[in-house]
Order: sequence, then C-alpha cells, then structure tokens
Amino acid sequence: MGVYLLKLGESLGVKSIATLLLLGLAILPLAPRATAQAEDVAVVVSSGNPATNISLGDLRKFFAGAKRYWPSGQSIKLITRGPGCPERLVMLRLLEMSESEYKHYWITQVFRGEADSEPLIVPSIGMQREALNVFPGGISLVNIRDVKPGMKVIKVDNVLPSAVGYPLH
Amino acid sequence: MSKSRIKTRTRCALVAFLLVSPSLWAQNASPSDAATIAQLVEQIKQLQQQDLDLLERIKILEAKQPHTSPVEAATTSPPAETQSAEPTPPPQLPSATPHDWHLVQGIQLRGFGEVDFKVLNQRQPELGTYGFVPGSAGNFYTGDFGLFLTSRLSNKTSILSEIIFEEGDAQTYKVDLRRMLLKYDYNDHLKLSVGRYQTDIGYYNWAFRSAAWLQTTAERPLVMEYATNGGLLPTQAIGVSVSGAIPSGKLGLNYVAEYGSSDTIRPNINGDGLLTDENNGNQTNIGLFVRPDELRGLQIGSSYYHDQISNNILNALSGAPVPPPPGSLGSSARYGQTIVNAYVVYVAHGIEFLNEGFVIRQALIGGSLHFDTPAFYSQFSKQLGPVRPFFRFQYVNAPANSNSILNDVGLRFGPSFGVRYDLNEYMAFKAELDHTVRRDEPDLNGLQLQWAFTF
Repeated sequence: MGVYLLKLGESLGVKSIATLLLLGLAILPLAPRATAQAEDVAVVVSSGNPATNISLGDLRKFFAGAKRYWPSGQSIKLITRGPGCPERLVMLRLLEMSESEYKHYWITQVFRGEADSEPLIVPSIGMQREALNVFPGGISLVNIRDVKPGMKVIKVDNVLPSAVGYPLH
Repeated sequence: MSKSRIKTRTRCALVAFLLVSPSLWAQNASPSDAATIAQLVEQIKQLQQQDLDLLERIKILEAKQPHTSPVEAATTSPPAETQSAEPTPPPQLPSATPHDWHLVQGIQLRGFGEVDFKVLNQRQPELGTYGFVPGSAGNFYTGDFGLFLTSRLSNKTSILSEIIFEEGDAQTYKVDLRRMLLKYDYNDHLKLSVGRYQTDIGYYNWAFRSAAWLQTTAERPLVMEYATNGGLLPTQAIGVSVSGAIPSGKLGLNYVAEYGSSDTIRPNINGDGLLTDENNGNQTNIGLFVRPDELRGLQIGSSYYHDQISNNILNALSGAPVPPPPGSLGSSARYGQTIVNAYVVYVAHGIEFLNEGFVIRQALIGGSLHFDTPAFYSQFSKQLGPVRPFFRFQYVNAPANSNSILNDVGLRFGPSFGVRYDLNEYMAFKAELDHTVRRDEPDLNGLQLQWAFTF
C-alpha cells in the first residue's frame, strides 16, 4: 500500500496529493451530518394520544418525571430502552445525565414520592409498540427507521424527524 | 403432417375438452345435483353479503377512531403551539387500556439499608441513636432498614408506604410506619395525599427522606434529624398534603400545603435520660419553591410551619412524668411553635450545594416569653468518578433557659468532611469526620463509617 502511494505521489505530484487531502478534509464534516440526520430519534406516543407536538423543554420535564400528566389529563408513562441503546443515549443527553446518575435520580424520585415507579424498560422495538398500546399515556424514543404502525410520531418544537433543525439524534 | 403440427393439434384438443367438459357435465347433471348447485350459489351470495356488511362496519369504526398512521399523523396535523397543550381533540384514548392497573403495575418494592461504625470521644455520654452506644470506644449498628412499597390503584390513584425497622438500645428493633399515603393526582397542579407523611419543612426532609443511601453524608444535619432521634423539627404527621405546580412559565413555581396531627416525643440529646412529650396540636405547613428552567438544578424555597406544643418531661426508661425544674412553667404551659425555613440548593452536573436556614420560635401562649433557635447548615460535594468528597458546616443555637423546650441542645456548631465512594449503582461506602463545638462542654470529635445500599 505504501509503495503504491509513493508511486501515486510520484505520478501526481506532492501538490496534487495535498490538494486531494484538503478536499477530503473539507468534505469530511458533511459525512457525519448526513449520518446524524439519518439517525434522528423520533418521539412516539400511543396512537390514540391527541398530542401532535411537544417542546424540547417539556420533553425534558417528561423524561425527568417533573411533569407527570398530559394536557388531556392522562398520566404519562415513560417507556425507555435499556442501557447502551442509541435511544437511551439520546435521552441521557437530553437530561444531561450519565447512566448511573439517571438510575440514582429515578430511585430518588420514587422514594421522594415524586413518581410512582421508575420508567419502564423494554428490550425490543416490538415491546415498545406493545407498551404504547397498553399505556395510553405512553411516550418513548425510537430511531426514526424503526417506527412501527401503532406508534404515533409527534413533532419536537414543531419539527418532524429528518427535517432540518430536528433536535434529537 | 409434421410432428410439431400433430403436437399442437393434440394440445388444442385437450384444452378444448377441458373447457367444454364441465358445461357438458352440468347439462347432463341430475335434478338433485342442480338443487345442490343452487344451494351452493345461495350460500356464496350470503357470504358475499356478510363480507359487504363487515366492510361497511370497518368503515364506520375507522371513521370513529382518530388517525393512527404514525408519521402521517404527525405530518398532516396542523402546526401546534410550542407547548404540548393540544386544544382540539378530546382525551378519547384507545380501548387498549389495561383492564387492571394493579395487574399491570404490581407492587413496586425497594429496600434501603445501612451498616455503620461510629467512634466518638465522649467523656460524658450523650443520646445514643440507631443502636449507637454513647460514650463507648466505638461500635457497629444497623441504623434504619426500610422497605418502600408503591402501587398504582388507578390512572390517578396510588399507594405509598415506607416501613422502617430501626435499631434501638441493646440491638432491639422497632417497626415504624414512617409513611403511608393514599395519593390522588388530579393533574400536575393538584396532587392530594392523605395518611402519615413526612413534613416538608425545608429541603433535606423532602430530598432524602429517611434513606441513608440517598444522602451524600453518613449523618443528617442535627436540625434535620428525626425528632425521635433528637432532631429539632416535627418530622412526621398524619393528615392531608396538597402539592403541585403553579403556572409560572419558566420560573417553575411549586407549592406544598400540609395540615395534620402530630404527637412528637423527642429525647433530650444531652444524655440526661429525659424525653419531651410535646403533645402537639394540629399543624399547618405551607411552602413555596422555584425550579427555574433556565438554570436546571437550582431550587430556591421557603416554608412556614405552625403548631402548639407543651413541655412535658418524661423519664426515658419508665415513661413516668418528671417534676419540672424549679422556676419552670411546667407541663401546663402551651407554646405556639413557628418554624420559618429558607433554602437555596443546586444539584446538577455532579455538584451538590445545599444551603438551608431555620428559625424556630416557641412563644408562650398568653405571655410574652419566647425562645428563638436559629439553625443552618451548608453542604458542598462534587462527584469525581465514583468518589464524592463532601464538606458540611452546621450550626444550632438553642436558648439555655429551663423553659425552652430545646434547652438540651444548646449551642452546637462545627464542620464535617468526608467522602462517599459508590461501589456500584446500589452500594456506597462513606467515611465522615465530625467536629462539634458545644457551649460549656468539651468539643466532640467523631468518625463514622457507613455502608449504605438499596435493592
């Protein structure tokens, strides 16, 4: 490979290689952006939930248990994926917590009487969908590519996943 | 004639036979077969009609139900306000509601416990709490072991209970139903609880309740200690508690109001072997606090508490009344007790900074005699990986007057510092050094080691 590059360098000239490298570096930031957009994480609720939009601030309050009821009066049921899942990492970034801080936080919330139970952890997308069916006030985060029928995607700050300015990815 | 032409003609004849034969068979059918066919045709017609009916019913049901297609629902919906409040559709939620919340949720159980080792350089033994033998060279004890149970009864109703097994003298254990609440949440603005609660005077009581695992330090500040262990505040009551958020935008204003009955029996902490039975009247506690959206982790609050108490002195061992000291007003005197609290705390990004102050006023009813006890503590800690070093300074200054209900406390202040090490997400080890300056008494130095856990 090294020999090949040397030969290529000789044939193209050092300046050409430098130009190519600069071009590559210029293009580099575009690549992760495209990937991030493809991996937007949607906020999904039960199909019967009348909500169509949520502010990022409210979403943070929901997942922190600071708000426990939908405007319709339905109690919020947090449905989360297990540690290590991309959706959980997005949630932790939203709350600005580490995994251990998050666990400590929720044990504290329940013990204070600020929550009835810790968020439900489901191991699969199918179970996420089932949980949203069982709990009418359910809310969860799902990779946009994994959204299934029965999951209703709602906007965040009036922006849909994959659109410019969507905040969760 | 070529072979290929023969083959083609043979195939055509075969196809023609297959096409014509059924009709020939039908024409040659007997009258009984014709009746059967007619019956079958009738059945097909009936099935077709049933199919049409079902399709019609599906259309009706679909028209009644809200839109269910996920992404489409979001894309076709009109742009809503930035808040999640949705004005239009009624809260008609799907019929997939669980039939019984109790079955879905079950009983949530969590336990808390601690094992402690404490050494104090006491020349004159003071009050021993949680199984600590005062004046000894140091001993192990188990403190509080708590079982915490919650269960949902309906969409808005739940039960919370906290059962504590607390170690006493000579490794005896008493069971204390520290909290038992039937809770009804109307919404985020109105949450109602009835039962035995822990008073929300100040931040510490609300934030850490009685679990050592939740606390950064091994010991509570003296002012926030349980009244049954010599603490200065009425920590528990049976009654009604209402709390919730007050619409205030990004300010995050919340309220709490409590009205209940308590009967505090508080042991004197100076080691004189006496108890004070306060015979409290009904208590009222009102608190307000803010959690601004702009600075997450900050909480600023204040509370106002009032009840009436007496100064009945009892012998700790026999429970018999003890004659009041000469010049004392005795047990017939009633005092109005008012506790004003204010706090500023910041808990975020691994930082814990707690600052809380109190003024406890006990004023003789029908007289001008009153006693003010100021108290405060300030605590700072920072998470550094699994380690959290902490520092706290606390101060209490109770009048020495024999009519003061807190005269056993006197003046006490001093620093505490130590470290909490989280072995994992459920176990922590803490080491704490305390230095306490006392009025007219030698200073106290203490070391406490604690293994705290939750499960």
